[in-house]
Order: sequence, then structure tokens, then C-alpha cells
Amino acid sequence: MKRDDFLLEIRTEEIPAAALAGARGDLARGIAEALAEAGLAPAEVQSFATPRRLVVWAKEVPERQSDRDEEVLGPPAAVAFDAAGKPTKAAEGFARAQKSDVSALLVVDSPRGRTVAVRRTVPGRPAIDVLAEIVPRVAGALTFPKTMRWGSGERSFVRPVRGVLAMLGGRVVPLEVLGVRATNATVGHRVLSDGPLTVTGAADYFQKLRGAYVEPDGDARRTAILESARRLASQVGGRIDADADLASVLADLVEWPGLVRGAFDPQFLDLPEEITTTAMRVHQKFLPVRGTDRLLPHFVAVMDNAADRRGFIAKGNEWVLNARLADARFFFREDSKETLKSRLPELERLTFQDRLGSYAAKTARLAELAGSIAEAVGLREIAPEVRTAATLSKADLVTRMVREFTDLQGVMGGLYARAEGQPESVWKAIYDQYRPQSATDDPPRGETGAVLSLADRFDTLAGLFRAGLLPTGSRDPYGLRRAAAGVVAIAISRKWRLDWRPVARKALDLYPAELPGLAPEAALAELQTFFADRLRNHLERAGSSYDEVSAVVPAGTWDFADAAERASALTDARRRLDFRSLVLAFKRIRNILGAEPAGEASPGLYREDSERALAADFLQAKGLLEELVPERRYSEALETIASISPSLDRFFVEVLVNAPEDDVRRNRHALLSAIQREFTKIADFSEIVVEK
Amino acid sequence: MLTLQRLIAELCAFWESEGCLIEQPYDNPVGAGTMHPATFLRVLGPEPWRCAYVQPSRRPADGRYGQNPFRLAKHLQLQVVLKPSPEDVQEVFLRSLERLGISAADHDIRFEEDNWESPTLGAWGVGWQVVMDGMEITQFTYFQQAGGIDLAPISAEITYGLERIAMFLNKVDSIYDVPWTESLTYGQVRRSEEEELSRYYFEVADVELAALLLDRWEGEAKRALAAGLVIPAYEATLACSHQFNVLDARGAVSATDRVGVIRRVRDLACACARAWVASRVAPAPAVALPEPAAAV
Repeated sequence: MKRDDFLLEIRTEEIPAAALAGARGDLARGIAEALAEAGLAPAEVQSFATPRRLVVWAKEVPERQSDRDEEVLGPPAAVAFDAAGKPTKAAEGFARAQKSDVSALLVVDSPRGRTVAVRRTVPGRPAIDVLAEIVPRVAGALTFPKTMRWGSGERSFVRPVRGVLAMLGGRVVPLEVLGVRATNATVGHRVLSDGPLTVTGAADYFQKLRGAYVEPDGDARRTAILESARRLASQVGGRIDADADLASVLADLVEWPGLVRGAFDPQFLDLPEEITTTAMRVHQKFLPVRGTDRLLPHFVAVMDNAADRRGFIAKGNEWVLNARLADARFFFREDSKETLKSRLPELERLTFQDRLGSYAAKTARLAELAGSIAEAVGLREIAPEVRTAATLSKADLVTRMVREFTDLQGVMGGLYARAEGQPESVWKAIYDQYRPQSATDDPPRGETGAVLSLADRFDTLAGLFRAGLLPTGSRDPYGLRRAAAGVVAIAISRKWRLDWRPVARKALDLYPAELPGLAPEAALAELQTFFADRLRNHLERAGSSYDEVSAVVPAGTWDFADAAERASALTDARRRLDFRSLVLAFKRIRNILGAEPAGEASPGLYREDSERALAADFLQAKGLLEELVPERRYSEALETIASISPSLDRFFVEVLVNAPEDDVRRNRHALLSAIQREFTKIADFSEIVVEK
Repeated sequence: MLTLQRLIAELCAFWESEGCLIEQPYDNPVGAGTMHPATFLRVLGPEPWRCAYVQPSRRPADGRYGQNPFRLAKHLQLQVVLKPSPEDVQEVFLRSLERLGISAADHDIRFEEDNWESPTLGAWGVGWQVVMDGMEITQFTYFQQAGGIDLAPISAEITYGLERIAMFLNKVDSIYDVPWTESLTYGQVRRSEEEELSRYYFEVADVELAALLLDRWEGEAKRALAAGLVIPAYEATLACSHQFNVLDARGAVSATDRVGVIRRVRDLACACARAWVASRVAPAPAVALPEPAAAV
């Protein structure tokens, strides 16, 4: 069959960078799925996006659907035909409604019994007609973090839709997206190109677009940005820090990335680098330029323009950056006139959260909680410095610098603490307290910082859970998932093996008892599931499969580091050992035992050899496990468990567990129950997925 | 050199040529041009509306005693409201920059996501900050809701930060060095006012009086609403909002009070909006573009 490429471009006003990738993917996926469902699966679907357009290119869409046979069911045969086999009024009515002849009616077996039916061939529809239905539906169903209305206010989308191009082969697909009629024309870059571009098809489209200063491929824009930035940096003897995230954001802000290098006043190099680079990266989205051992007074900026013809762009950006740095230097000098300690009273007036009081109250809780965490992880000796760090940790929130450069919270506190002569462990702890910020970020560098970060996270989680402000669905305004994920990551990276429940409980109890919301007990139960989910994510990211994680979790979730070791041992063991029969045996045990409690097995009631052999093997393994598990020698423990697999298999082949005699049956249940109890302290093997 | 007053004159002339009614600044203290009835009330209801005006915007807590090169207790906004939002609104905006001698081809002009919300007005919108060569020069918003009412048609609001643009165009490092005229700087015209306003709002303003006025203006707004007087009720609401800002600058609003006061002002603003919509027995006078000569 003949096949044609389908090309769709939805042009909008500037889509937020954060929403662009999602919109592109959802649109392409939606169209690919709808085409496949309609029997018009394309050979390949590619998608592109710029701030001003979403593009889907479905290659080789069949020209039309295949014809298909359809069966329409009518009344029951007993109603449609009388005793003599003659069609009744019901049969005639059905035939008429189906535009068929009574003589063409069939009788088929259906879920309703013998039923009258007509069969016919439905001719496939042309792809162009199907596309005209699919595209508006898929585009209209797209979801965004935030939608808006415009003009008459009847329609909503991420930003106003200003044009649509939809072509199948060389033909315009007659459709409307969000009230805009499709044509075979597009526009180029807003500033660098003039007038509409009429295109004849997909290949022509991409060529014309690039000729009109639009690079539709975000990856190509990002690569171009990084390459040009490296070249511009090397011209002044420097290099660009690898900053893939910023390059991606920049690529999603422009249609045609041009780069320009600028310089700032070298006197600002005296400022801490953290400040200078934050002003560049976060506030201005510039790429800083670094020499061999220090920052250089240059930056690279991305512009949505091919060239800085008159030098205005470099000058403007330089002027803005210099003004920002002058501001920052003023803040830094002003802030340095006071100590962190002298700022503590100001925290009384800074709200942590409406229902949870001030940062002064938070600071008091932190000092207490951090001290007890230090003891819990066996570092009593660092408790004093942990308390000092905790007490000073939030003072930077009322500095001018952090009020203006909020991204520098913690970092500024650390820098000011260092300048005040605080010991390294204290200032680094303050500096690192918000680490890790993401799944790829490093945890705090030192033990003191790790304890402080844990205390801060537990306190925030405890407070917001007590206040009943739990995250819902995709809404997590207080970043609680990230906070809990950070706890898990820190505990695991530090290998601090302990049951964190008492710490969580203490954090909950540090809030006033009369706080409206959840009682500490209820909040703790919520926290347990919340942490278990974060733990699951962490373990899966660390390389365990979904079912391995499901096996590890029932054996305990509050000791994150221990769970991580069990997961890693299990994942590793599955590569070396054959777990299949063991897993099947445990599934079987689970099914046999149900919820019924079992007593102790007594050797006198064993009847079969294989039963005695299993009991003997079990006792031996149990003895070994009692040594291995407390020492967390999980790999060896798993080998031990796997070693009884043959006797379990033999047992199930030769022994009827549910024996007619009550005492024998109960005894066999007791044996299996003991095996289940002892052998699932590392993982519940019945959760593991194996082929039957 | 493009003086501040030339900048204002050019922008007003431009928007006049785009069919806008040139309104005058609102004569009571407001925190932003959005609070002017020409925006807040006119974005409600179905009538087309196009207007532009300069609005001195008073934010007591932003005062810096005339010392900070960027911050002012009172700054100037040039506000444009276009209802319904035209299809080529971004292009029209870029043409307004051309009028100031800013050719888009010589600059890097980007529309970066920046949504707007005013809890005290029960209003929010979606849009961008317009960034030129690294500097935010304009806020661009599609109004979605005002006074708690979902809007249709939707208005586009364009707010030029006049001091910012003037600083940028004249490449001066401080607001106070902006040329107001050929011979007078912004500092000569306004610095002492900034010093005094800052001292007043941070040190002198009578907290008890502000708290009392907040309560009394709230009562007055309700009385005016009961009498069916929407505009006076809305004026009283804005007076509440200003007294709240005064209290805030004096550090006299605790965190818990803040939520409560914002809710009180919002309730008034929402009541005014509803009353305005209900009271429009005769349609409000419309300002619309003449029918376009030819479609593009």
C-alpha cells in the first residue's frame, strides 16, 4: 500500500521551557498511539519542539485503513424466528435497521446465547480523514503543569495557539486545532525571518525552517550551544563547566541559538565564587568561564539571534551582570558586619510555615534533634559541634544576600560561618545542609553535615505531616518527597544502620502536642509508607529490579542502609544462583499457610524421610543464618537459604502437606511456617517474579 | 539620550495609535497599575477595552532611603490593557519597542515564563517576563481571573517598568542617574521624596493609626457596597490594601495576621468585582479597534 509522511506543527506563543519536553513527548505519543489504534501505524514517529512550536513527524503512514469484517448482533434467535423457522417482526426490524436483507441474517453463538447477526465488510477509511479526527482530539487532551485561556477565552492550552500546519504527503489535512485551521504554511524565526513559508512536505519543511533561522531539534540546539560556548571560552584561555542542565534549559528558550561572550569587572573576582556563579547561572542563565585554577571575568550568554550585529547584546548583558554583582558585593559587605549568632533573634519573625511557627522555633528543635541523631548513629563526640551548626544553620535566611539570592541558602551561611572562624566541620555542615538537592546531587561532605541535613529533613517532614500537609498526586509544594529521598540517600551513603523510627518519632514529638492536624502516632504511620516509597525508588535507581525491591521491603523499611544491603545482596545473588525453584517453593508456602497461625514443629510427628531431611537441613541452615544475618553477611546468608532448595523440592514432590491426620498436617504447617519466618528476614522470596 | 518623559510620551503615543484610550493615573496609593479600576474592573465583563496609562506604584517595603540603585518605594509603571487579547499581541508589543528605537534584530528579546498572582485581588494570570539582553523590561500577562471571577474574554496586560527601561536605554547604573529631562535627573526630581518616604514608612508611620484605618476602610467598603456604590467600595478596598502595606513595612504584621488580612482584602475585592459585574445594567463604554482593513 502507498504510504505518506504525516507532518504536524502546532505554533504557539512561547511555551515555558519546563513544559516543553513533556508537551512534545505527549503529543507525539498520543498521535502514534491513536494512529496504531486506527490501524494506521507509522513506520517511525519523530518529534521536535522549540519555544514556539511542537512538531510531530509520523513517517510512512498507510494511505488508508484495511477493510475489516464486522459482526453486528441483533435479537436472540428464539425471538427472531418462530417455531417454523420463519423470520418474525423482530428479525425484519433488525435487518431493516442494519440496511440488510432478512435472508442475509445469520445465527451465531454469542455471550447472550444463540443470536441473530449481520456480517459485513467495513471499508477502511483514508488516513487523511482519520488524521483529521485524531489530531484535534489528541491536541485537545494534552495536559500541562498550568494551562491558560486567551482571546475570547473559550479554549485552553499551555500558551495561545497561533498557527497549525498539517500535511499528509503533499496534501493539507483538513483539521482544526484549538480553533486554528491547518494550512501548508509556517513561519520562521520571529526576528530573523520574514513572511510565511509555504511547504510541500516533511523534507521541504525542515529545510525551509532551518533556512528561516529555526532549528527544530532541541538536542541539536543544545549541542550547538555547548560547542560554541567551549570555543568562545577557549578564545580567552578558559573552559565552560559541564552544565548540561543549564544548556538544556537554554536550548528550550530559543529557536536559533547564537552565542555571545561578555566580560565583567574583574574586581568582582574577589567575591566568593559561589556568589558570582549563582548570579551568572541562576539569575542570568550565563555559562561561567573558568581558567586553570579560578574563575575568569568572562561569561558566555545564549541569545535568540544569529549575531550581535551592533554589540548591544554583549554590552547589555555585561551591564546587567555588573549591576547584579555590585548589588551582591553590597549585600556581602553589609551582611559581614553582623555575625550569624547576632541574627538569631530575627528568626523569631521569619515564618517557617504558617501553622508551624517561626524559624527560631525550628532552630531550637533542630539543635535538639541533631544532637540526638548524632548519638543514635554512634557519634556522641560530634554532638556539640552538631548543635552549634544546627543553631546557626538558618541564620543566613535573614541575610540580605540570601533574601536576594535564595539559591544560596546554606551556602552563604557556611561562608559567613567560615569567615567568623567557626571550625571546618561546623561551617561545612551549614554549607551542605540542603544537600542532596536531587537524585544526582552529592550528600553532605562530612558527618556533621550529614547529621544536620537529616535533622532538618526529619523536622520538616514531621512538621508538615503533623499539620496534615502531605503531598498529593503531583503536588508537593514543600518538596517533601525530595526531603525524604535525601534522608534515605544520606543514611545509605553513610552506611548508618539503624532503625530511624525513634528519630522520626522524636521529630514528631518536638512539635506542640496540641497542633491541629495529625497526631504523632498517625503521622508516623503515614511517614512509614512515605519513606518506604522513597526507599523503593532509591533501590530501583541503584540497580535492583522492581520485584527484588518488593521482596526486600516487607523485611523492614526503617533501616534504609540495611535494606540497601539486602537489596544489593539479593540482586547480586540472582545473577549467581538459581532462585527459580526456591521462589516457587516460597510462593507455594505462602498459598498453603494463609493467615492461620502455626505452632512449633515436633520431630516425633514427622512421617516421611523427605520431611525429616527438610527439617534437618532447615535446622542446620537456621543455625548458620543466626550467625550470618546479625553480621549482615547477606550474600552468604542467601547462599545458605538457596542451598535448601533441593530438599524443599523433594518435600513438595513426596509429601502431602495437608495430610488427613490433623496432628501430622499441623506439624507440617509448623515446619513450613518456621522456614518462612526464618528465611524471609532478608527478603520475601515469594515476591520475586519467575517464569512458571 | 531618551529621557524618561520622552519614553512615556512615545509609549503613550504608540498605544494611542493602537486604538487605546489614554487613562490618567489613579489618584490613590496603589501597589501596581493592575489595581487601577481601568484594569481591575475593566477586565471583567464582555465589553472590549483598550487603554494605557502611567501608574505611580507605591510599595512601602521596597523603600531604600534613596540609596539602592534599583529599588524604590514609589516607581512608575506604564500599563496597557487589551481586551480581548489580540492575536498579534506579541508583535504589537515588539513594535512598541521599535518606537523607542529598539530594533529586535539588534537585540536578544525573549519571553520567559513568569506567571502573576495577586492574593489580595483574587486575581491571577499566565505569561512571561520579557527579557532584553539579560534585563527584565516588561511583564506580560494574560489575565485569567480577577476578583475571584473567571474572565472571558481574556485581557492581555503589558506592564513596562519605566525606570528599568530608562536605565537600560541610557546605560546608567542607578535609577537616580536616569535623565528625566535633558537637564534634570531622576535623582534630582525624586531622591528626597524617596528618602522621606522610606524614613516615614520604616520609622515614623503610626502603626496604630494604620491598623485603625485598615479596619475603618474595611467597614467603609462594606457600607459603600451595601449602598450599591461599587467604585467607592473599591476605592476603600484599595485604601485597606495600602494600609496593610504600611503595616507590613513597619514589621507590624505577624505571619498569622498576614494570611488573615490578605483574606479580608480579597473578600472585599471579590465583592466589588461581583457588584461591578452585576451593576452593569447598561454595557460599559467599549473601546475597540476599528474593524481591521484586511486580514493578514
